[in-house]
Amino acid sequence: MEIKINTGILSSNDQTAVENKKVFDQTGLFVINMMGSPGSGKTTVLEKAIDILVDSVQVAVIEGDIYTSKDAQRIEKHGVPVKQINTGGACHLEAKMISRVLAEFNLAATQLLIIENVGNLVCPVEFNLGEDIKIAVLSITEGDDKPLKYPLLFRESGAVILNKVDLVDYTDVNMDVLRRDIIRINPGIQIFEVSARTGRGIGEWVQWLLEKVKEKKIRLPKSRVFL
Amino acid sequence: MHEMALMAGVFDIIKQYTTDLEESRVTKVTLVVGEMTNAVPEALQSAFAVYSAGTVVEGAELLIREIPLTAECMSCGWAGKTEKHLFICPQCSSLGLELKTGRELYLESLEVD
Repeated sequence: MEIKINTGILSSNDQTAVENKKVFDQTGLFVINMMGSPGSGKTTVLEKAIDILVDSVQVAVIEGDIYTSKDAQRIEKHGVPVKQINTGGACHLEAKMISRVLAEFNLAATQLLIIENVGNLVCPVEFNLGEDIKIAVLSITEGDDKPLKYPLLFRESGAVILNKVDLVDYTDVNMDVLRRDIIRINPGIQIFEVSARTGRGIGEWVQWLLEKVKEKKIRLPKSRVFL
Repeated sequence: MHEMALMAGVFDIIKQYTTDLEESRVTKVTLVVGEMTNAVPEALQSAFAVYSAGTVVEGAELLIREIPLTAECMSCGWAGKTEKHLFICPQCSSLGLELKTGRELYLESLEVD
């Protein structure tokens, strides 16, 4: 006997992600999910961005790692609320891990929630957390072949941060190939070329983020406008 | 590996349909997996073996139906398989391709005896 089911396998995670998003939308809270390889510079980009963001918006951060609270400790120094999630082995964050920590934040007083996912170009892309936009972080030292090797992340992201551009002269990376391949996978993606170490380009990404935060506030009629 | 997390999701759904089936066994599970979904069939088979052990699904066949990546051009109307994961229209070179198939990940059916 055949039983027809036709149910999405990630439906349990997706359902929790939808519930998370409802909570975020209640106050017009804009949420980003940052993904990239270990060592791509996600945390350093965040540290530099937070120092500029806090002049305009209330920021909160959720850090995801398999082990340690090293990243949360770094973010803490920048004076924003931060919570570390340790997966203890899972290579990606899931929606229920996010929902479990939301009560520890004052979401009503937050305009931008940044989730830094576990370092991984593959698995996190499949697990929606309730975010508004996915952000890919790729350091140019990883090579210009990475977008074609890991297309799903670039396809699903609203923006890609190409980090460590201060090291271009020390590598064989072809920036034209890199930009071209990213656009061919996702024509609508915004590309930001930065050096988290020197701070170059971070301001442009922050401006774009602040625009997105404002747009969401305007879109959701029930929320109060903070900007 | 995240195929284990995906398989946990599959078995959450299977449980809903098999709690009433006391005497029966599941003989086949059919999953539909799109080409651009990050789920490797071999890894899904391994995860399936782990999750089905000791349940009414043990010994069942896992059939994975793979769906190719296809898109439609919003400019000239071309539709078909994309070249790898590049969303460029082979007919008019436009970048405005909309993905039609290839991101599926669902449990299609069970066969029970």
